[in-house]
Parts: sequence; structure tokens; C-alpha cells
Amino acid sequence: MMLELQDIYKSYALGAVRVEVLNGVNLRVDAGEFVSVIGSSGCGKSTLMHIIGFLDTPTSGEYVFEGRKTAAFMDEELCQIRNRKIGFVFQQFHLLPRLSALENICLPLVYRNQPEATNEKIARQVLDRVGMAGREMFRPGELSGGQQQRIAIARALAASPSLILADEPTGALDSQTGQEIMNLFLELNREGITVLIITHDPKIAGQCKRVVRMQDGTLREA
Amino acid sequence: MIKANVIEAARSLMSAKQRTFLALLGIVIGIGSVIAMVSVGTFVKEEALRQFTDMGTDVIRVRQDYGEGKGGGGVMSGPGGLHLSDIDKIPAECPEIGEIAPYIAVYGALRYHGRQMPAPALGVTSSFGRLFRLPVTEGRFVSDLDRYMSFCVVGPEVAAAMRQAGAKKLIGEKLTFKQRIFTVVGVTPKVPVGSMRPYEINDGIFIPITTASRFPDRPQIDDITARMVPRGRAAVAVAQLRSFFANNVPSFRPRVTSAEELIAKMEKQMQLFTLLLAAIGSISLIVGGVGVMNVMLVSVSERRKEIGIRRALGASKRDIQSQFLVESMILCFMGGIFGIGLGLGSSYLIAHFSKWTFSISYDAILIGFCVSAAVGVFFGFFPARQAARLNPIEALRSE
Ligand SMILES: Nc1ncnc2c1ncn2[C@@H]1O[C@H](COP(=O)(O)OP(=O)(O)OP(=O)(O)O)[C@@H](O)[C@H]1O
Ligand SMILES: [Mg+2]
Repeated sequence: MMLELQDIYKSYALGAVRVEVLNGVNLRVDAGEFVSVIGSSGCGKSTLMHIIGFLDTPTSGEYVFEGRKTAAFMDEELCQIRNRKIGFVFQQFHLLPRLSALENICLPLVYRNQPEATNEKIARQVLDRVGMAGREMFRPGELSGGQQQRIAIARALAASPSLILADEPTGALDSQTGQEIMNLFLELNREGITVLIITHDPKIAGQCKRVVRMQDGTLREA
Repeated sequence: MIKANVIEAARSLMSAKQRTFLALLGIVIGIGSVIAMVSVGTFVKEEALRQFTDMGTDVIRVRQDYGEGKGGGGVMSGPGGLHLSDIDKIPAECPEIGEIAPYIAVYGALRYHGRQMPAPALGVTSSFGRLFRLPVTEGRFVSDLDRYMSFCVVGPEVAAAMRQAGAKKLIGEKLTFKQRIFTVVGVTPKVPVGSMRPYEINDGIFIPITTASRFPDRPQIDDITARMVPRGRAAVAVAQLRSFFANNVPSFRPRVTSAEELIAKMEKQMQLFTLLLAAIGSISLIVGGVGVMNVMLVSVSERRKEIGIRRALGASKRDIQSQFLVESMILCFMGGIFGIGLGLGSSYLIAHFSKWTFSISYDAILIGFCVSAAVGVFFGFFPARQAARLNPIEALRSE
């Protein structure tokens, strides 16, 4: 089992009002699964992904990751998990504009105390893996959207994560480029990486082994 | 990690050149003024103490204490001067005193080859040259055998003026001082002066004391410098001198000061002076530090998104904090290097125009480096902590 959410609640305080975003989410994802999350805009998909990715904590409920309860984890431990277990891919790519493609890919590796040469070797490998060999020194601004997303996926891969979390990774791309990116995810999943992808695109969701729909703050298999 | 941080910080500073430059400017001026102030303080102190490294600290000065309107008769008719015969008795009566050098200062105009310059003349004995450790670059110093002769030894300023007026060889040249013609028999070089060595040594000429006392206005001897016997104790010597004057020349009111006392007093003054300078320097440093803090705060808020991305990729709070701390330290360190340059440069100029001896104060450089690193940590800490405390999601969402 990869992860399990048990009765997760998440609410935000907006002044005196409490905004209930997640209302008892239950989800179990096994290792090697390819899951897509769909749902209307503003229903809480990104919030869910942040909780799964240890960027945010639930208001209540139990989150078990790789068999360990995570409620008591301290910041250092959460950073370690984000750094070594999880690869994030965002709709807006979130590359650092000042850094070259290669340096962007190295980012998660910098926070491990290992030789720079090792980092660079890994970075070149994953760059090749996403079909971007030869663009090492390009800056994000010098690449197309699809190419940037490939670099972002390479960055997620560099950490050799067991789980990839992608929040609308094709949302900013045209449908053909989006499909290419989707193919990349499918390939990675075949190699054993668990993938959880948020999407609005039914064509994308249709290619996933499993689709869950978020509605009224809860998840249901679709 | 450290290396990556340094590279990253350098890159981030480079990418905002204008901002970096302005922050640097503040810190450069801050460190520069601390260095300049500390250096100038050192120069002044060394300058004040230099006469003692030349002369030794086993000297005592006795002067007429004119006081402030003490007694009824007014200043002029008050205390009398000393006679050479009295003075000659001092070494015998004061066992702690080895040698004495009285002098008379006479002020007037010096004429040479039709040129005229105001200059003092010091009436001295041959012991003056020994006691004040005056070297002679040409000829000889005033001798006790000169008696009432019109010989003179010229100091560096007068020698320079004479050379400017065309003199090739100074020995044997004739000068007019107070309507008397003097023949130059020696030349002394420039030496450090101060509260023990009178400035007239550099500015004037030396003539036999007996000749000086014969000028029409009958100048009196009212200034004596004494050197103690080897291993003499200053306090004892001072007491002996006081009782000598009380017993032998009651009309003379001596003010006795030992070099030790002078140095102690001077050091106390210097401490205050240095403190003041350091305070001035520190204020500009604080202003510079606040500038750094401001720039770092801007840098943090401009890079919220970057912070969010790094946090998502596994950077811990400590990683983020050290990234920004390294950045502000590099900023301050660079500022420190330029500031040390600026400080040394400006203290060199100050020394040059004040005619002080310039020396590189390694203390000041060390202080400069330490202080700049400390400023970097101190004023970088708050922005760095703010960066580290950002909520990763909010940071990611920001544009
Ligand atoms: N920090 C916050 N404070 C208050 N409310 C928040 C906060 N973050 C998210 N919300 C609210 O939570 C709800 C869910 O937001 P979320 O971003 O998870 O939606 P989403 O499903 O990802 O939408 P989209 O498909 O448009 O990306 C929204 O109504 C949003 O207003
Ligand atoms: Mg969203």
C-alpha cells in the first residue's frame, strides 16, 4: 500500500466563517496505481494533493503513508519525505527562471548531502529520459510550455520518487502536447511509479486505470 | 550545500544588480567609516606617543606655573625665572635626576638673503641635544663652549626655507635674528614633537642659552626638562624636584610632570576619543546594516514563489534560512572588502593631509571583516527567518 487517507477533514478560517473544503475524504492508493482525480473547480482537489504531498496538514483525520501514521511528523521529517519519496508536477511548471534546465532538475538533489557530480549525472539521465537531451543549458524562458513541463517532470523524477503528484499537468498545454506529457506519465507508471494526477480533461482521465471524483468535499470512485 | 548556497546567493545578488549595489554602498560606507575612524584614532595616538619612543619615558618636565591670577601683583610681576646657577645644582641635590636641559624660547623674525620668516629661537645647553635625543645631520649641536657666541643650529623648517632661498651648503651661512647675525654651525632633522618635546624644535633655530638670555627683553628660563638616573622612580624624582625648588628658589612655582603621567593622561583622553570615533563609525554601520536588511526583506518577498518551490522539493526551514543568511553574509562580506579599501584609502588621505604617519592597522582590517560578517548575520537573520517561516503553499501560490 502506498498511502491511505482516513476520514480527512480540512477547513479554512476566513475571518469568522469556516470554509469546509474536505469533509471526510477516504482514499487508498496502492503502489503502482495510476489514479486521476476529477471534480469541479474549487472543490478541493489541490487542497487534497497538498495534504497527500505533505505541503499541508489536515484539520482532522488520519493520513498513513507507506504504512506509517504521519500526524506526528516534524517539519524535518516532512521535508525528507517530500525530498525523497514524492515528485511534484504543477500546472504552471514552477521552474526557477534564473536556473538552467539542468540546474532546475538538480534542485531536489541539492538538499541531499551528496556530491555535485552525482547530482549532475542523475540530472542528465532524467533529462534524457523525458526526451530533452541537448537542452541542458536552456533557461525555462527559452523553452516551450510542453518542454518546460518535461523539465518539471524530469525534476520530479530526479528524486527517484515512489509517488508522483501532478496538479493539472496538462492544463496549460494544447491537447497534442498534453497527450505527449500524459504518455510520459503512463510510461513512468509502467516502470512502477505510483501516479496521482488531477485533471479537468476527460480524455486524460479516460486513460487512467482508476478515476475518483471529488464532490461536496468527499471522494467517490467514478 | 554551502557551496550550492554560495553560488545561488551570488547568482541572486547578480540578478538584482541595482539593489545589490545600493545595499553594498551602505555597508561599504559603514565598514569604511569604522575602519577610517579606528585607523585615525590609532594614528593620533601613535603620533602623540612617538616623541616618547624617541625620547624615552624617563623624562620629567618642570615649568613655571603661572596659575590664574594667583596673588595680587598680576601675572607679569609675579613669579620669577630661574638662574643657570640654580639649575646646575639640581642633579646634585636630586639623586633621582641624571641630567637636565633648561631652555628659553624667544620669538622673533628670521632674515636670510632678504627673506623674512617668523621663527622661534630656543636658547639651549649642549645637554638639550642629548636629552631630547636630537640627531644632527650636518655640523654639530650647540656646545657649552659657545657661551655668548652668535652660533646657531637650524631646525628642519628653517633649513628647508634656506635651501629654497638658494643655499647649497647651510654650514657657515649667516642668519639675522632680532638684529643679531648668527652663523649656522649645524642642522637637525625633523623629529616627532608633542607635550614633552616643544614644537620649536622643528620650527625654529637653536642658539646658546647664555646668548638667548642676553636679548634686550631679558627672557627668563622657565622650562626645564630632566632625565632620571637609570631605573629612577618618577614619583620620587618629582617629589625631589618639588622640594628642591621650594628650598632653593621659593619665587619659582614649579609645575612638575613626568612622562609617565603625561602618557597616562593622554591614553585616557585617547580612550575617550577612540570611543567617540567608534560610536560615529558604528552608527553609519547600523545604517548600512538596516539597508542590507531592507534589501534582504525585498529579496525574500520577491522570491516567495521560489521559496515555495524549494520547500515543495524538500528544502527544510533550515535550508531556506541558511540560503538567505549566506546571501546577506556575502553581501556584507563584499561590502566589508570594499569598505576596508575605502576606510584605508580615506585614512591614508586624512593622514596625508594631517601630516601623520600612515600605517595599515591590521586590527582595523580584522575588525572590518568580523564586523561585516556579524552585520551580515545580524541584519540577515530576521529576513532569513521570515523566509524560512513562509507557509509553503501560500508561497507557491504567490506570483
Ligand atoms: N488558504 C486558504 N484560505 C481560505 N480558503 C482556501 C485556502 N486555500 C483554498 N481555499 C478554498 O478551498 C477551496 C478549494 O480550493 P482548491 O484550490 O483545492 O480547489 P481545486 O479543486 O484545486 O480547484 P481548481 O480545479 O480550480 O484548481 C476553494 O474554495 C478555495 O477558496
Ligand atoms: Mg487546483
